[in-house]
Parts: sequence; structure tokens; C-alpha cells
Amino acid sequence: MKDITTSVLKIDNEEKSKGSAIYVSDITIPGMYYAKTVRSTISKGKIQKITLPEMPENYTIVDYKDIPGKNIVRIIFEDQKIFAEDEVTYYGEPIMLVVGPDKLIIEELVKQIKIEYIEETPVFEYVNSAINYNFKKGDAKSAFENADKVIKYDYVTGYQEQLYIEPQGMVVDIEGDKVTLTGSLQCPYYVKNAVLSALDAKDSEVRVIQAVVGGAFGGKEEFPSLTTTQLAVAAKKIGKPIKMIYEREEDMEVTTKRHPSKINMEAAISKDKEILAFRANVGLDAGANIGLSGVVLSRALIACTGAYTIDDIEVNGDVFLTNTVPNGAYRGFGAPQMLFAVEMFMHHIAKEIDCDPLKLRLRYLSKQGDATSTQGTFNDPIIMNDMIKKAMKESDYKAKKIKYAKEDVYKGIGMSWFLHGCGFTGSGESTHINALVKLRKDKNDKVHILIAAVDMGQGIRTTMMKIVSQVLDIPLEQTVYDLPNTDLVPDSGPTVASRTIMIVGGLVARAAKQLKENWTPGEELTVSERYKQPEYIKWDEDNFVGDAYPAYSWGVNIVEVEVCPVTYQVTLQHVWSVYDVGKAIDERIIMGQADGGIMQGIGYGYLEVMNSKDGRIQQKNVTDYIIPTSVDSPPLDTYLMDNPYPLGPYGAKGAGELTLVGGAPAVALAIEEAIGKKIHKIPVTPEYIMELMKNGKN
Amino acid sequence: MAKIKFKLNNKEIEIDENPNLRLLDVLRDKFEFTGVKEGCGEGECGACAVLINNDIVNSCIVPLGNVNGKEIMTIEGYSETKKYDVIKDAYAEEGAVQCGFCTPGMIIASESLLNKNPHPTEEEIRVGLSGNLCRCTGYNMIVKAVKSAAKKGDGLW
Amino acid sequence: MVKNVIPVSYSEALDLLNERPFKIIAGGTDLMVQRRSWAQTPPKFSEDVLYIFNLEELKYIKEVDGYIVIGSTTPVEDVLKNKLTPNLLKAAISIMASPALRNMATIAGNIGNASPAGDTLPILYTLDAIIVLESIEGIRELPIKDVITGPGKHIIKQNEIIKELKLPISVFTNSAFEKVGGRKADAISKVSFTGAVNIKDNKVLDFRIAFGAVSATILRRKDLEEKYVGLTKDELIGKVDEIVADYDPFVRPIDDQRSNKEYRKTVALNLLRNFIETL
Repeated sequence: MKDITTSVLKIDNEEKSKGSAIYVSDITIPGMYYAKTVRSTISKGKIQKITLPEMPENYTIVDYKDIPGKNIVRIIFEDQKIFAEDEVTYYGEPIMLVVGPDKLIIEELVKQIKIEYIEETPVFEYVNSAINYNFKKGDAKSAFENADKVIKYDYVTGYQEQLYIEPQGMVVDIEGDKVTLTGSLQCPYYVKNAVLSALDAKDSEVRVIQAVVGGAFGGKEEFPSLTTTQLAVAAKKIGKPIKMIYEREEDMEVTTKRHPSKINMEAAISKDKEILAFRANVGLDAGANIGLSGVVLSRALIACTGAYTIDDIEVNGDVFLTNTVPNGAYRGFGAPQMLFAVEMFMHHIAKEIDCDPLKLRLRYLSKQGDATSTQGTFNDPIIMNDMIKKAMKESDYKAKKIKYAKEDVYKGIGMSWFLHGCGFTGSGESTHINALVKLRKDKNDKVHILIAAVDMGQGIRTTMMKIVSQVLDIPLEQTVYDLPNTDLVPDSGPTVASRTIMIVGGLVARAAKQLKENWTPGEELTVSERYKQPEYIKWDEDNFVGDAYPAYSWGVNIVEVEVCPVTYQVTLQHVWSVYDVGKAIDERIIMGQADGGIMQGIGYGYLEVMNSKDGRIQQKNVTDYIIPTSVDSPPLDTYLMDNPYPLGPYGAKGAGELTLVGGAPAVALAIEEAIGKKIHKIPVTPEYIMELMKNGKN
Repeated sequence: MAKIKFKLNNKEIEIDENPNLRLLDVLRDKFEFTGVKEGCGEGECGACAVLINNDIVNSCIVPLGNVNGKEIMTIEGYSETKKYDVIKDAYAEEGAVQCGFCTPGMIIASESLLNKNPHPTEEEIRVGLSGNLCRCTGYNMIVKAVKSAAKKGDGLW
Repeated sequence: MVKNVIPVSYSEALDLLNERPFKIIAGGTDLMVQRRSWAQTPPKFSEDVLYIFNLEELKYIKEVDGYIVIGSTTPVEDVLKNKLTPNLLKAAISIMASPALRNMATIAGNIGNASPAGDTLPILYTLDAIIVLESIEGIRELPIKDVITGPGKHIIKQNEIIKELKLPISVFTNSAFEKVGGRKADAISKVSFTGAVNIKDNKVLDFRIAFGAVSATILRRKDLEEKYVGLTKDELIGKVDEIVADYDPFVRPIDDQRSNKEYRKTVALNLLRNFIETL
């Protein structure tokens, strides 16, 4: 049998290449209506009066009064309204839909709707804490009291927009009591449950089907639950199929983004230049709703020591509500902010105590058996030393480091080390998700993979089919994995948190083994597997004590840059990455994840500027929100290490997010070296570089 | 309304339409082509790219009035050609297709580039694809695919 | 009722313009974005539209009496490939937008749109481009600086069309175009700089500087340039501080969603300094 890592051609290459794959915008249903959202034009206030124009026949508005169930988008923290009622809390908050058959008439009607507000003073600062988490490991307090020196730095990170090339979109169809929602989404069952709650419907009355998804990166994790509930309510009211595709500007203004953050780091340093303890204080800007922000904060806090083991730590974090667009899931989920701060901080400590950063970092690099930041244990082998050596060798790191240290050379090379916890934080897998997978063998011995995992470009359909075909030793073509439809597939959980290969794939592999043991040619058979938390994993959610994740993936990124001293622009020269994702199920697919992830991470670190002014997003299109083009992107060299994880399918661990989280610190460190000034903020824009070169500290 | 004549995927077309319409909408709504996609609506992302007289354009900012007398080729027409097969296979073999939303536009950009420059350098490939945004791949595998297509399709362009 | 017309000839276009007002579309790369509306609905034009992009009569590049003459509907990609095109203009076009845009965009569009960030405009100012406007009443030839009066504003009359532009053939021993955008391709300028110098027998015969996106229109000051004509090259380089100081008060950029005024100003003056120092 072939090594599973050997790549196969992806099953959806052909239809995607020739343009016949059906994305949500390609779907038309006879007699279909369209919907446009009427939104708040202020950041905070009461709705005093709404004046509607006379509605022509077949045109109607849909607002909170039409919701049969609860006016809440049911996700993890239930505080987001489907439609605003008497108050609005951010610019762009949905108030109602205008629905009808002709887009030109809908637009005209939207223009004529007059909403009068009593404006209130909005809050844009980090003052209104909605969630506070804090935890300790060891005794940081006495370490700080006994320290020879305390080093403190602040780090700031900006918004990041997912910028999937396909904007958000949904289509709803209705037949009798049955509502079918088809769209661009990551989590069919999140959507189904949200719609059930909004419609107060029976389980059998709602069905969710995935269309081909044109990129998601977390942006289609919880946000589609909002648009689908709105459309489902509208369809219930008027009994027509309805399509709603966001315009790019609308998508960029009102959909969730990566949380901006402010992170304060403190280190207690002993006389002999040892790091005794860390304190981290993290503030996340949630926008106007909490939504997933608490979970994002958890992941950020747990990453507070990055790839290092620090024995004594104190961690405090807040989710701050502001009157701005709600933030949410984005690949990395809190870790990119924290890892940027940790990696910069380790370098800044080294500078402060006059120590070689590489030596200092190696001294604290985590090893197998070490306690994690939450007093759990790194149970599995950590091969970071080999990975670092590999990355340094391939990039000629040491020689370049010496060469670029000269003052008149505006070149730099930066290296980040990082880890990413695979799967949901804590006991989320067992308490919240409880994944179920099924495999059905039909009479022709074709094996149907029945899971709710969504292929949004990461190749999960091919990966899962490979796992099944490998376990059963049947050709790939004998397996079937259609786009998930909640009437046909069980809830295997959302397609998030780098859990799909490790958790869902693990269950699929076990189900396939079951099927193999009971295989009778020509006979139908369905087998299922449900997630069981490994016995050794203990997690105390209230105190942040125990194993926050069942396993960790690890990585090293090296980025080389040149900075122009005239224009302060950064040119990426080359990127090297080494990853431990356990075992790659398909090498080429993982390499593709690696390429895309690192460029998103690097973009986050130096290029992608999004800010909010008076509560309004300033960069609302792809002209103003700058992501890398092919000319900006350098050659990317990636190396995968084999370090199989015993509980993952064929040894696989999570991969999707890992490849993003180290990009920003690596590029920021490279720029820091090129200009010889400390960097405290991402993105490291030319404007910021100019400031640093004029007034920054060495 | 105005009478507008053009060739679409080698077929003569004559329609009486508002020349202000975006070519993108005409291709999607009237001709039901799904390979021409809207990503940004302002000519920046390249998901709606088609060939006009063999050169790449973004159909979301081309008014129908500007295609009178032109030859338009969408991915649907282009995918009938041998050159397409070479590019498509190279994309598959290099892993250049992820979510697929940029892919038809990216293939159109590849064709437009190779048509003018059958043996591009890496730098020239990157410039040739610079109007087509991709968020999944970091472009690495796409650049490799175009290189490979140029080699394997040597003589076709 | 809006009536849009695709004229079959240039003379028909002139006749139509004389009859009633039209919005003229050339490549449409700017207008189609500015007027865009909800997907699947036509862009919003309140006025009648005249489509001139396919008028073959206006697609040409030729040399006439010491001028390079470029027809107004020539796509910039064709301008880029033509051997008559001045190098400075080629430099600007080669990093303008993206290949797809360059196949549709026209220089006349850059003029009609009159954005201070328009990529070719600093070059046209530097080269003393003459804009040829034609109406049924006749032809007007005006220097570009007199055509563009502010952001999005120009003096082209309702019945006029940009027929062509004329670039006096000039000789430069050193020239540079620098565009500073948010990224390396497919970007709008934060600031741009053009410098062109002709030094013969160690004497500065011609000295031209232009900036884009640092003021309401392209910044070029002939009064300042003339101060430095007649110097030797070393004298010119020696006066770099004075030159930068001369331009300083006129470089007055704004803050926007793409950059801020401090950056724009610093970089504009850095580019000027760098150009002089590396002559």
C-alpha cells in the first residue's frame, strides 16, 4: 500500500478550473426574490421612528417582528440580534430586509426608507469589559517581587479581514413547512441550529446544504448564521425562494474580522539574566457583540508563552465591547495576536538584557513532558530543535544574520517559533460538539462519507476520501463525499479550529475500520463513530487548568525582507517554513495550506491595513484593503516533518491555522532587524516604519 | 437599448440591450456562464476575467457597449481548447486549485500571458498574474503551474 | 429617457456631442467603478452615455513634427508596447494597475477622470503634454495643466472630446518615475514622483520635477525648475537641500484610508532628494 502522504489529484480540480462548480451566486430558483439589508447609519442610539414608503405588490420588508422564535443568532454566546429592535449598537447593524422580485425596485425602496434615531455617545475605547478571564501557573507574584529587573512592553495588532474572494451569500427555498438554506458556509449545523431557534421550528423543517465555498478562513464560521436566519424568517413570511449575495463593500463593512488587540507583557528577570516569570494582559476589541470573542480570548491567553515554557505566569484578559462591527473567527482565532506579542517580547527581552535572542529562546523552548501554560502536559514528542536547525540551514540564517546586522544594510531575516492547539479549546469537543460521523456502503460497494465537514478549498473532500480508501484499500473513486446536506449527514461538528482532519478524520478512519471488519460485498451497511475524549485529557474550564488541547502542531517560519530607506516599503525576499503536523495525509494539500497560511500571516504582519474611524471601517474594498498579489509574494519553501500523533488518523494533527500564526512575528522581526528599531505594532506599514526610523528605539 | 454584435466563444451574437450593462452580468445572467465570477465588482480581483480579442479584461468593469465587434472568450469556451488542457493539468499537478473562485480568472490570465510570452520568467509570470487575487494559495503553486504549463505546452503558444 | 449611443465614426461622435450632453466612456475602467451599482443592475448613469472605446480612428501612436501623438482611445497596453512611446511614460504604464486594466484603460481616461493619483498624469505634466480637444466648432490645443483644474475637474466642454495628446519629443539624460502604492501591483498611488534632467557638457539644460497625490492636482513648478537650469551637475547635486526646501511648501498631501500626509510628504521629498543625489 502507498504511503498516504503521497499526493493525489484533488477531486474537484476539473469543475473548479472550467468554472462549472456551483457556488451560491450561481444558484437560481424559478420565481426567486432578492433581498437587501437596511442597516444602521449611526454607531449607537435608539430608533425613534421608521417611515416606510408605500410598498408595491410583491415587495415587503422583514424585520424583528417577523421572527417566530427568538431574535437571537444562536451561536456560542447568544447576544447578537437577527434584526435590531429599538436600539442600534454599531454602524451597519441590520434593521430589516427589503425583499422582492426586482433589484432595481428594491434599491429604490431601500433609498426611500427613513429611519430617525436618537443618537447616543458611542464607545470606541477598551473600557467596557464584557468578559474577563484570568489564570495563574506557579507563583508569578513572588517572582516579580524578587526580580532584579522587570521588563514591560506593549504590543498592538490591527484588524484583519478574511477577504475570501467569494463574498458571503445565501439562498433560501421553501416548500410547505420545509426551509432549505444553501450557501457559502463553514458550519452547516451552526446554521441549522440558529435557524431552528429563529423559526421556532421542528428539526425536520430546516435543512442546510453547502454550496461550493469560495474561501472562508473563519469568515464563514459564525457570520452565515446571521444571514441565513434573516433569509429563513423572510422566506417564512412571504413563502418565496430568496437570494442574498453581499456586495464586496457590504461584506467588508459589516462581516466579522480578526479582533484588534492590545497586549501588555511583563517579564521578571533575575540577576543572572533568567526569565523568572511572565505577566500577560490581553484586551480584545469584540465590536458590538460578544459572539465568539470569549473563545477567541481563551485561545489567545492559553498561547501566552508561545512555544516556550515559563514556569510562573499570571494571565489576564478582557473582551471589550465597542460600538463597531462585531469581530469573530479568523484562521488562528486569537493565537496570531498573542504569538506576535510573545515572539517580539522574547526578542525585546534579549535586547534589554543584552543576550543573543536565539540562545535565550532556545533556553526556554518547550520540551516533551513540560507543563503547558495551563499546567497540562506536552505529552507528545516535540521536535522543534530539529525543525529550527532545518529552517536555519535552508535559509542560511546565521550567515545572513551577521551580514544584515550592519547599519547601512536595510535587509533583515526574522524567525518565529510557534505552536497551535488542535481542535476546540478545553473540553469543547466532548461537551459542545460531540461529533458523530457515518459511513454508508451501498449495494454497489460505494462508500459514502457522511459528515458535515465543509471543503472551502482546503481539500478536505479529497483528504477524507483518501483516508477511507486507504483504510478500506479501495480506489478513491469507490468513495463518495458530496457537499454536506443536514438531512443526509450527521453533525460531525463545524469546519473550524484545525479539528477536521484530526478529530473528524480520526472518526472517519475508525468508522472505515469498522466497515472493513463487517464488509460483505453487495450488501448495504451503515456504520457510525462518535467522539470520545481521551481519558488522560483533563480540563477545568473555570480555572484554565489542565490540557487545553489534545495535541499541538508546531512550526518555524523564517522571513527575509529588504526595506527601502527612501519609501520605507518592504520587499519580501524569501520565506522558509518547517512544520510538524504529525503526518500529512496528502503532501501537496498540506503544502497548499502552508503557502496560503503563511502569506495570510505575513500579510497580517506588514501589509493589510484596516481601521475603523468613528465606528466605520475605512477600507471597504479590495483597492483600499491591500492583500498580497503574486508580485508581492516571494518564493515559499516549506518542509514537513514526520512526527505521527498516535490518536490522529495515520498520525495526522491539525494544519490549517498553524501555517498562519507565525507569519506576522517572523516578518515583523525581519523588518525590526532591517531598520534596527523595535517594533510594537502590526501591520508594520511603511508609515509606521517611517515613524520608527525617525523616532524609534533601537 | 442598442444593437450590439460580438463573437462569444466563437459564436456570432447579436443582442439588443442596454449598453451600460456590465459584461459580467450579461455573461452570467443572459448566457448563464458560471465560470465568470464576481469577487469585487471594481476590476481589482480578476475573478470575472475573460479574453477580449485574446487579451485579458475584467468583465465587471467592461460596459456591454465596449464589446461591439469584439471577440469574447470565457473560460467555458476556452476550456474546449488544447491549451486549456495543458494549463488545467498543470494547475492540478502543482496543487494550484484550492477554493476555486479565482481559478477560471487565473487560467484566463495564464493564457493571456502565455499568448504574448510563451516562455515567461518567474518574474514575468508574477507580473502577468498580478491582477488576479488569490487568498488561498499564496500564489506559489499557481506560479509553478504556469511555469510547468509553458514547458509542457511548448509550441502551443 | 436615457439614450446611450455607440457611434460608428468619430464624426458621428462629434455630431452627437453637439446635439446634447453625453457622458463619454473610453475604456470605462474608472467610470464603471465610480458608477457601479448593485450586482446584476446596470451602473448608474443619469446622463446619456457615448461609447467611444471602439472608434478605431482614435487608436494610433505616431510621430508628427517633433511630437509623439497618441490617439485618445488607444489602450495603455498598446502605448506601452509602441517603440515611439517615451520611456518615462512606459515606466508609468508598466506599473499601472494590472494587465487586465491596462488592456482597457486609456490615457484620455486618466485625463478625463482627473484624479491627482492618476498614474500617467505626473508624466504628462513632466513631458509638457498638450491635450487636443475637438468639437464640431474646431480644435483647441491646451497644455495639460490648463485642462485639469482640480480633483475630478477639468475644462473640457460638453461638446468636446479628447482627440489626442501630443508629447513634445524631449531629451533627458536622467529620468525616473517612482510610484509608491500599497503594494507592488494593482495599487493606487499613495504618492508618485517624476524627475527628468538633461545635462549636456556638464550643464543642466532641462530640469523637471512632478509629484502625484500630494496636492489637488499634479504638482509641477516651472518657476522652481528654472532656478536650477544652467548649473553644472555637481552644483545641482550640491543644492539638493535647497531644492527640497523649495518644494517643501508646495507638497501638501492629505490623510485618507490609504496613507497619511506625514508619510506622503516625507516620501515625496525623499524621492526628490534621492533623485538628485543619485544623478
